[in-house]
Amino acid sequence: MSKEPVIQVDSLVKKYKDVTAVDGISFTVNRGEVFSFVGPNGAGKTTTVEILVCLRDLTAGKATVLGFDVSTRKGQQQIRKRVGVLPQDFNTFDLLTVKENLNYYKKMYDSGRDVDELIRLVDLEDKTKTLYKNLSGGLKKRLAIAITLVNDPEVIFLDEPTTGLDPKARRDVWDLIEGLRDQGKTIFLTTHYMDEAEVLSDRVDIISYGKIIADGTPSELILKHGGKTTLIVEDGGKEAHSVLKKRFPKARLDNGDVLLPINDKSDLPEAVMTLNGNKTNFAELVVRRPNLEDVFLNLTGKKIVDGELN
Amino acid sequence: MGGALRTWFRSKSTLFWTLAFPLLLMLLFGAIFSVSSDPRFDFYVQNQDIIDGQPSPLSETFVAMLNETGVLNIKMVDPAENIAKYVDEKGVEMLLLIPEGFQQSCLTQNASVILKTVPPEVDTSAATVRGVVGQIVEVFNTVTTGQNPPQVVTVQQESLVSENYRFIDFFVPGLIGMTLMTTGIFGAVGWNTRNRELGILKKLATTPLSKLEWIIGVILFELVMCSISTVVILTVGVLVFDLRVLPNIYSIILIVAGAITFPGMGMVIARFVKETDSADAAANAVTFPMMFLSGSFFPLEMMPNFLREIAKVLPLTYLNNGLRDSMVYGNASSALYNTAIVLVVGIVFIIIGSLITNWRDE
Repeated sequence: MSKEPVIQVDSLVKKYKDVTAVDGISFTVNRGEVFSFVGPNGAGKTTTVEILVCLRDLTAGKATVLGFDVSTRKGQQQIRKRVGVLPQDFNTFDLLTVKENLNYYKKMYDSGRDVDELIRLVDLEDKTKTLYKNLSGGLKKRLAIAITLVNDPEVIFLDEPTTGLDPKARRDVWDLIEGLRDQGKTIFLTTHYMDEAEVLSDRVDIISYGKIIADGTPSELILKHGGKTTLIVEDGGKEAHSVLKKRFPKARLDNGDVLLPINDKSDLPEAVMTLNGNKTNFAELVVRRPNLEDVFLNLTGKKIVDGELN
Repeated sequence: MGGALRTWFRSKSTLFWTLAFPLLLMLLFGAIFSVSSDPRFDFYVQNQDIIDGQPSPLSETFVAMLNETGVLNIKMVDPAENIAKYVDEKGVEMLLLIPEGFQQSCLTQNASVILKTVPPEVDTSAATVRGVVGQIVEVFNTVTTGQNPPQVVTVQQESLVSENYRFIDFFVPGLIGMTLMTTGIFGAVGWNTRNRELGILKKLATTPLSKLEWIIGVILFELVMCSISTVVILTVGVLVFDLRVLPNIYSIILIVAGAITFPGMGMVIARFVKETDSADAAANAVTFPMMFLSGSFFPLEMMPNFLREIAKVLPLTYLNNGLRDSMVYGNASSALYNTAIVLVVGIVFIIIGSLITNWRDE
């Protein structure tokens, strides 16, 4: 499949007085891709999105969306018609119903999707006449995504779409995003949830302090920067540690668990047999594959907890 | 205690209502009711008793006696001036006419002066001025004829308003003006601030809607709100209080002008208000003084000079004056003059609002 770039960013810089929020980043998003910008709060994710959707002026560099320059008035007019944006922390009119809210935003465009169809898409048919203020957090987010789609956009920008949602509501939003991906929509997603990026994205850029520090598919990034698969001997304690250390010198004790990096596919059965052979006590054996959190940890030396660097 | 104090101190709205509002109230009413700075009433005198190109000696003596009271700020009107037109143009509320032949009539003890004022129930200063003029006439009679004089000069009292309007008829135009102001400013500031806080402004900025379209939309919405308020006020006025003043074409134009001016002003205020919490405080800080300094409830004449100067730069003053001119006094030219001022101010505010409202890069 030929790749058609729809977002092209080259050496983009955004400064607020003395603070450089975005520091010379370059990337390309292709049509039909779910592209994720992952990083902690303050890394420059939202600033980048806001430049691409013409909410902020760039300081230096160049950015185009669907071939239109974000810096020109004409380009901005075209971009606004063709993209759908879910801003971070967006809420809509409290005292309008689901359908009234959708109709309100649809009037901003010359054409778009049928409002009833959108209500079905986000599964809010039984809430059509419910006031926005009476919806739960998850349903509010679903409506917000429907509002983002009113103009049937070619590119969808979702800025932290699941922040503050409970796990069930997060899953619902993920399903919606996957549905949009299946429809061939190009999605630019920002998130500080690594699992979200891993599940949803075709490609991920990790951003830290305004710079892109890694780019690739989730599996590429994990393979390259995630480290080894680890066997965890839960509650193995010193006994399991000493047994395994004789055969596997890299086994280490961590809070009562023994962690054993798997370097070779024969390591796993051998470790299990070693434990069994010595009748070692432990609670459970868990095989943990590396994920994007490990990628971020290995690249920056820090974890992201609730959006903040830790 | 410490937490409550810190919360109180950091809430702009609470700070306004607990500190700024009572201070504002005290300063405002203190200034309005302190007449020490200039206790005199503007009082227009047209002396038509001219002999050989000069005012007759007796008429001049009469004017001098009025002047000596220190209560009246005498403003002489050219004898050749068309007095009806002059009253309309200058918005005169109290005027004394000394007719031709005044001196001659004094000699035959049947002279009279004509005192034209707005009804005292509309402006209490009219009652004061009537009393002062009555006393001066008595003194004048005594001086010219000795003790226990016959009535050399009498005062004919006339109303400057042709029909027999009552207080409610003068009150309602001020009420409409005030409503246009509060609806427009509170509406625009509240709507803008709340929508900014909800992220709706940011969302709209990502759509093809332009900033100017948004501002015009807000203003048109407030125009509808103002129209509804005006209709309600007038309907209740007519049904409950037998209101006799009703809008004519001039007052309707003025109401429309007012209904776009104050939302425009609100858009400018909204630029500087970031949180919903501050929106009410900011709107109150602007509307409250304007309400009392623009003649909505108190005649401007009863305020000290420096407050009258402030009133001259407030758009609500011109809206109130224009509404009374058109609805009560039937003075079209003055109403149009006030309409023009309100419209120009409105357009200026809309332009400034469009320029400084920055919904894209908040």
